[in-house]
Amino acid sequence: MFIATNFFDAGFWDRVHGGSTHLPIALALTSALLDGVGSIVPSGKFRENFRFSGYFTLLLAALGAVPAVISGLMLTNWDAVGSGVTLLHHYFVWPSFGLLIALVVWRSIVRHRTSRIGFSIYLIAILTTAVLISVAGFWGGEMVLNH
Amino acid sequence: MMYIEVKGLIAALLISGTVIGAFLGTARVVQSNISMASSKSGGQSSATKDPKAAAGAKLFALNCAHCHGIDATGDEGPDLHKVTKTDERIKFTILNGVKGEMPAFGKKLTENDTATLVVFIRSLSAK
Repeated sequence: MFIATNFFDAGFWDRVHGGSTHLPIALALTSALLDGVGSIVPSGKFRENFRFSGYFTLLLAALGAVPAVISGLMLTNWDAVGSGVTLLHHYFVWPSFGLLIALVVWRSIVRHRTSRIGFSIYLIAILTTAVLISVAGFWGGEMVLNH
Repeated sequence: MMYIEVKGLIAALLISGTVIGAFLGTARVVQSNISMASSKSGGQSSATKDPKAAAGAKLFALNCAHCHGIDATGDEGPDLHKVTKTDERIKFTILNGVKGEMPAFGKKLTENDTATLVVFIRSLSAK
């Protein structure tokens, strides 16, 4: 076995997971907000700044999501599905994590060369990600507070 | 412009799918290694013979081992090898907890999960 099952203990990963998940959730929500605002302000320097900040926060959210996911897997002894509230949490974690990575890759390749339709679809996707990651966080909180 | 967007979309789907696949695949491999290790160690060998007790052992590792110890011999919580309570009482304790001592798992575990855990706990005393 290449990963110890009792590497530190569940209490340690509980704390690491709790601490590391807030950053990507907050950054994904901020990114969606910045891009949303950036799409309604008049074009020019102001819009560019909003979009750049939106991209940068998305990049940090995706990077921050990696340790959050790894610590979560360590906490559950690498059970990526689970049952009960854990299962509900995972129903939202995996799609939001996948979307977060897909969006950051898309944005890194396309950069500013987006069409109006392309960016509108992106906005819908980042808003969906923000909702999914928030619901995942909600169920994560339910696990902590109600057991 | 559309060309780069489509190219970006294909790359995004491929990379995202690969990352998610790598995580889920690794989780699957590690999970099977954990099961193999626990059955080899003999700590829960009688439990793994019964599929329901084996499922209970998995739930135990995720939810209870933190306090009752990975081999259920007790740590912060008591040893579960010689539980004398009735099945109903064990279920009640899991679901509602013990004030100031044990958290309630009623909102985390389903009725079926609790029953599975009881089978596992019973298999410990059968050893």
